[in-house]
Amino acid sequence: MGVKVLFFGVLAEVSGTSIKHYNDVKTINDLKLKIQDDFPEIVHYNFRISFNSEITDKNLILKKGDEIALMPPFAGG
Amino acid sequence: METDYLTAGPVSQMLISKLVEKMSHKTDSGGHSIFLGQVRADEIGGKKVKAIEYSAYAELVSIEAEKIKKTILSEFSDVRSIDIIHSTGVVNAGEISLLVFVSAGHRLQSMQACGKTVELIKEKLPVWKKEIFEDDSHIWK
Repeated sequence: MGVKVLFFGVLAEVSGTSIKHYNDVKTINDLKLKIQDDFPEIVHYNFRISFNSEITDKNLILKKGDEIALMPPFAGG
Repeated sequence: METDYLTAGPVSQMLISKLVEKMSHKTDSGGHSIFLGQVRADEIGGKKVKAIEYSAYAELVSIEAEKIKKTILSEFSDVRSIDIIHSTGVVNAGEISLLVFVSAGHRLQSMQACGKTVELIKEKLPVWKKEIFEDDSHIWK
């Protein structure tokens, strides 16, 4: 088991799943490319990344067990 | 999905009255401000919204809600407590989807802090909504 990716909001609908595991991904950018390969429509949506429950814009190095979330703009309230 | 900050379905009247009841023991507070967010039956492109389905990143909601509370408490020295409860799942038009309850020593800071808390929730809480129309089609907001 590699890293766990959570899809939220419209991205769960676009990908047809709310959780997917990815193996052999070294960085967040690497992971994003793999996700785009699996779900090409995702490039049309804006989203932010959360790395182990912390929002980040950085291209961090991933290790086994990390949790990455793809989060469209928030719409609470 | 139930956490300190999330409730499954609409925010019930019982939840609201429980908070009011809890406050009767907090005799250092002189004012409470309550904000209730309600699902509006908007009409979009000739179709009427019948409900909103909320989803949330529960772990991050807890982290961000704690940060919001810290921010408010540091900015408003008279505020004694802040409660935040957001719905997940389906909430029908006319039902409550957000509760913010701020208690302070005096009214002014309770009202100001309540407004600021709501704004921070809109900006910072990882919650998403799908508006469901009467014909069961939907859009993401």
